[in-house]
Amino acid sequence: MLKIIFKKLIFIPVASFFVSSFAFIVVNLTPGDPVEVIAGGIATEETKQAIRVELGLDKSVPERYVDYLGDLLDGNLGSSFYNKIPVIDSINKYLFDTFELIIMSLVIALILGFIIGGIGAYFRGKLPDKFSNILLSIIQSVPDFFLGLLLIYFLFYKFELVPAPIGRIGLSDIPPKEISGGLLIDSLLAGNWETFKIGLKHAILPSVTLGIFYSSYFGRTARNVLGKSLNSEQVEFAKSLGLSKFRIFLYALVDARTPILTYVAILFAGLFGACAIIETVFAWNGIGQWAITKILMLDIPAIQGFILFAGLITLFTYTFLDILITYLDPRIRKKTL
Amino acid sequence: MRSFITKINKENIPVILSILVLFNFSFGAFLYNFTHDPYTTDIIQRLSPPGSGFIFGTDEVGFDIFSRTIVAGKIDLFISLSGTFAALVVGLPLGLMASDKTKNADRIMKVLDMFQAFPLLVLAIVIVAMWGNNIRNVIFAIILINVPRFTRLIRSEALTVRESRFIEVATAMGASKTRIISKHLLPNILGTLLAQASITTAHSIVVVAALSFIGIGVVPPEASWGSMIRAGSQYMMTGQWWMSVFPGLAIFISVLSFNTISQYILRRYEQI
Repeated sequence: MLKIIFKKLIFIPVASFFVSSFAFIVVNLTPGDPVEVIAGGIATEETKQAIRVELGLDKSVPERYVDYLGDLLDGNLGSSFYNKIPVIDSINKYLFDTFELIIMSLVIALILGFIIGGIGAYFRGKLPDKFSNILLSIIQSVPDFFLGLLLIYFLFYKFELVPAPIGRIGLSDIPPKEISGGLLIDSLLAGNWETFKIGLKHAILPSVTLGIFYSSYFGRTARNVLGKSLNSEQVEFAKSLGLSKFRIFLYALVDARTPILTYVAILFAGLFGACAIIETVFAWNGIGQWAITKILMLDIPAIQGFILFAGLITLFTYTFLDILITYLDPRIRKKTL
Repeated sequence: MRSFITKINKENIPVILSILVLFNFSFGAFLYNFTHDPYTTDIIQRLSPPGSGFIFGTDEVGFDIFSRTIVAGKIDLFISLSGTFAALVVGLPLGLMASDKTKNADRIMKVLDMFQAFPLLVLAIVIVAMWGNNIRNVIFAIILINVPRFTRLIRSEALTVRESRFIEVATAMGASKTRIISKHLLPNILGTLLAQASITTAHSIVVVAALSFIGIGVVPPEASWGSMIRAGSQYMMTGQWWMSVFPGLAIFISVLSFNTISQYILRRYEQI
């Protein structure tokens, strides 16, 4: 086992190098001149030149690349071109807000997906299976931001069940002292139940939106894997032993752990970027919303920093997933050894 | 024509409906005789709810939602389809090359896997924002997102087919590599490929809409579903739902149609 872990970990530095190079390439090898866009149409040649020096764009690409890698080794991601805040500080500030949203969404998605997919697998081939399939197709076809707007209309405007979608707490509420940067975690740490409750209410809309949207992934996987294992010989055997239906269903669930875990990890890593639009719709003020604002402003150091961050999160999540799966699933463990 | 009608049965009604929906959005701009021009505003009638004057109502500047929802399909579907097609054209040779069992092929796949794990939507936003706000760059972003998907799919399909007996026989009979690929390999992976292309187009529609939803890519006065939803998004909180809901429904049924077609293709090829 240790040998496997070591083998996976040794891959990280190499991959990190590729990820950081990729972040550099995306931002620096653009066909147009970003200075043109940043400065606007009426800027003089001097202003443009000043911006170029400021961003280090007066140097050649290889020179910039070496500078960039050197800075990275010092843990320096550069500073925002507009407000000079170090990129790493911004990422730290918004990271946990998004983290909270992702965790809540994934929990909702898992529960919902398992209910829909589980019903389909249990009644496979019958009417409920058909309904669960149609429901999953419908969920898959609605864009998440549109779903969010629909939920705003129904839950906020029509039935007034949730507070207005304008941020993490109401305008008059006082946020807790920042410790991790995540509002819910911080208010829990401070023992501030009032704020925690308010924050949770504001979290309903965005996390339910993402939860419904991503439940289709878990629903399909659950339906396929559970359906297959409920048809398998082991289950036939368990039935003939007279085990209860519920117990058999639980055994079938064990079979689904590897694909479900894989999906959780893929979505967890991907959501740091994928929830950007939902964060914008609900003014969540997380890392995705920060990234979109920065991208639209063409804040080059911030964009580069975000791509690097997203790549590293992906890399670490996948490595962790690999190790976890090999640990949990003896079939894979034997193969890798 | 008669044989066509007799072919309609319970199985393929959803597919025929899907094709009609997509045809309606692709060519609707030329087919309909709009009572309100999609590109002129009627500022006095702004924010009118769906009803007798305007079937789907009007938006905040007085654009007619119905004609714009139809016209937007032309540009949104064009971008999604052409982006997907180009990605397929690029991904096909790459996937076939990667289906050779060499160490390098494995390495390429590992890099592509990493790339796919990236938040691709954000990458698309970066590309369009930095390279310039035009349709060409949106298409390019869609190609870039989807080439790895096609490469991976074609590779895995080709690997399975290449293992099979009839390829072995063809090789033994002295068939050239091009002949094996064009006569034996391609026909066998065509079904999966078309099904994937259909799903990819559906996915691309959402990406294009997401881009114009945050205000880049296809921007007003040009009509696009994403920008129409964006224009109506603030009004959802105050109850004027029609601005966002109709273009949103248009995206929904287009995506659903492509997904239905994909499932149909898969089923057809499994039967054979």
